[in-house]
Amino acid sequence: MLRLAGVTVRYGGTAALDGVDLTVAPGERVALLGASGAGKSTLLAVANGSVAPTAGAVRVLGGSPADRRVRARVGTVHQSLELVGRLRVVHNVNAGLLADWSAARAAWSLVRPQGLPEVLAALERVGLADRAFERTERLSGGQRQRVALARLLVQRPDLVLADEPASALDPVLADRALTLLGETAAARGGALVAALHDPALVRRHCDRVVGLAGGRVVLDRPVAGVSAADLGGLYGAVP
Amino acid sequence: MTATLPRPVHRAAPRLRRDRRRWAWGLGAAALLVWSLAGAGSSGGGVVNPGGTAQLARFAAAAWDPALDAPYLGVLARSVLVTVAHAAAGTALALVVGAAGAVLVSRAAGGRRWAARGLLAVPRGLHEAVWGLLLVNVLGLDPWVAVLAIGLPAGAATAQVFAALVDEVPREAYRALLAAGAGRPAAALYGLLPPAAGGLLSYAAYRLECAVRSAVVLGMVGAGGLGYQLALSFASLRWAQVWTAVYALAALSLLAELGGRAARRRLAAPPPSPSERRDPVLTAAAAGTVVLVGWSAWYLALSPASLVSAGTAEQLAYLSAAAWPPATDGGLLRTVAGLAVDTVQVSVLAVAVALPGALLLAGPAARAERPTPARRVTGALVRGGLLLLRTVPAPVWALVALFVLRPGVLPGALALAAGTLGVLGRLAAEVTEELDPRPRAALAALGARPVGAWLYGVAPRAAGPVLAHALHRWEVAVRDTVLVGLLGAGGLGALLATELATFDWAAVTTVLAAVVVLTWAVDVVSDRARAALR
Ligand SMILES: Nc1ncnc2c1ncn2[C@@H]1O[C@H](COP(=O)(O)OP(=O)(O)OP(=O)(O)O)[C@@H](O)[C@H]1O
Ligand SMILES: [Mg+2]
Repeated sequence: MLRLAGVTVRYGGTAALDGVDLTVAPGERVALLGASGAGKSTLLAVANGSVAPTAGAVRVLGGSPADRRVRARVGTVHQSLELVGRLRVVHNVNAGLLADWSAARAAWSLVRPQGLPEVLAALERVGLADRAFERTERLSGGQRQRVALARLLVQRPDLVLADEPASALDPVLADRALTLLGETAAARGGALVAALHDPALVRRHCDRVVGLAGGRVVLDRPVAGVSAADLGGLYGAVP
Repeated sequence: MTATLPRPVHRAAPRLRRDRRRWAWGLGAAALLVWSLAGAGSSGGGVVNPGGTAQLARFAAAAWDPALDAPYLGVLARSVLVTVAHAAAGTALALVVGAAGAVLVSRAAGGRRWAARGLLAVPRGLHEAVWGLLLVNVLGLDPWVAVLAIGLPAGAATAQVFAALVDEVPREAYRALLAAGAGRPAAALYGLLPPAAGGLLSYAAYRLECAVRSAVVLGMVGAGGLGYQLALSFASLRWAQVWTAVYALAALSLLAELGGRAARRRLAAPPPSPSERRDPVLTAAAAGTVVLVGWSAWYLALSPASLVSAGTAEQLAYLSAAAWPPATDGGLLRTVAGLAVDTVQVSVLAVAVALPGALLLAGPAARAERPTPARRVTGALVRGGLLLLRTVPAPVWALVALFVLRPGVLPGALALAAGTLGVLGRLAAEVTEELDPRPRAALAALGARPVGAWLYGVAPRAAGPVLAHALHRWEVAVRDTVLVGLLGAGGLGALLATELATFDWAAVTTVLAAVVVLTWAVDVVSDRARAALR
């Protein structure tokens, strides 16, 4: 599914990732843990091709993340969502179908939304069907997070990357969001990699924990074997 | 055991509802365009004059062979200094007037904006060249004429744009500060100004560039400098010299533009600095600007005394008496009304031609983050082309258009479209450059084609600001129509020129009032349209 080998990402002098090796197999549900600034978002950005590593190799679904056909099979919920506030909710959601659409269809969809049944079904699953035609900027933070989730649902990716996908959701919705992400990955025999902060969510929805600190992998084991002390060390001891 | 079937949800399905107000504005714009096109077509006879193609060819050919002899270059160098001094002093005045005016008209200031707007409509409704011709009659041949002629209308325009930029900033932060008990000025300083700062500075730099162009135009009506040389060479059909002057002008504009861009970049992304010290480069730039303005005042020998001398006051009193009341005979009013219609049609067509061009060229003209060599070359070529389009004054484009087109609405519209395209293309490119690149990157990351990522990630966010700029250019185009007329292409400007030449001050007042009312009306319409876009 995903293989990083010796991946380093530098921004100026600081290394956001420092020689990361990580392999994710189909069917795995990986929780990415680490203190703020540990490199979680950077790792996910390397995996979906939006950041090219300074050094090291990245293979995604057997190809390069720069390849558009590979990208079409990788879905991401970004930490800052990256929705366009001025667009209606439907349009932000149907943007998840853009990989399959011609330029003309993409343009026409702004006038007359295309793929509406799929889009409305995805919005129904995240509980926002009644807001479909509203401007996205009128939605609350948690509602926007669910719009980003719906965009990923219509994309039907094999590899699901999620950067704190539940940070603005109440406990019930957070649980539901992770269920949806897990189902999406499982539906096509894919994998889920999610940066999470909430240990309860990690235990319920993931089977493997990868801990990052200062851009390095410092912990990698099945979720059952992760103790409270491990988590404490992860958040307490940033080198 | 009963099987449960998924039941259809009986809820009113949400529907796509168009924003009626925006549709109404769109239809209105379409109607205006059709009306203007009809006006351009109805001038009777053919619009093309095939006899001028040879002259046009000679003019175009000279672009590759500009005059480079030492005496002419010497003359040109001195004219450049005059133009720079006019532009720098004029911009300084404009920014001071503009900052003060913006406080009065911004929505954040509340209340009195319509009154203030009306007050600003008079200086900005009249073109620099018109101001120049009026001020010459008050001050005589004083260097203040050019400086005031640039600074007053530009200051009023700056006030309007500064206020609009501040008004377009999202209000959440400002309201949060007010809710937290901050006073209005403090809340504006922390919540409105920082997000608008990039735009304000960008506009100030653009103003300097405009001032260079205004200084040239003033030269064409007699204030000396580069414009005077350009007009002289054009009148004597010395195309090689015309092009040398145009290139000098382009170089000046480019300098103003690059300086502004560098400062803007620096403000947006300051280099990491551990200390609390000010950025030395920005400090040097600010100091350099102050020195340049000081030098300009010295070089032009600007003396405050000539503004308040007894002679000036006397002349002002005489003119005021002669110009009031305005002439109101029916013949004049009918002529003015007819010409006003032409003016609107010319300006609408100019923007209608320029806007699609600007949208097409904005992409290539914007600086890419990681450009390929081919992308770099196209980018430079497009930017150079746009620079040339906006650098050459509209009257020159009008004269060029008149080589091959018969006088009427069309040549005027094309001449103005050239300059409008040059400005709008650059502004549209800047709008796209200043957008947060991440939404588009997110779409690229999910496999969207470049066009799709642009349509969903860039276009919706750029459309509002670009249309707002286009509406603003429409106002500018109305004023420029008068300028083009002033230098011979007919319309309200030509009428004004005749009346100034015959010292018919009462009629001058009538025409000026018509121009101001027209610009003000266009301003109100465009302001409403901008509000509908928000
Ligand atoms: N575009 C960028 N330019 C410069 N530095 C960056 C950039 N993106 C990330 N960094 C730096 O890389 C490091 C890792 O950032 P990253 O966003 O991956 O952290 P994170 O683990 O996702 O943190 P958080 O939990 O706060 O989201 C940080 O020190 C950050 O400052
Ligand atoms: Mg992060």
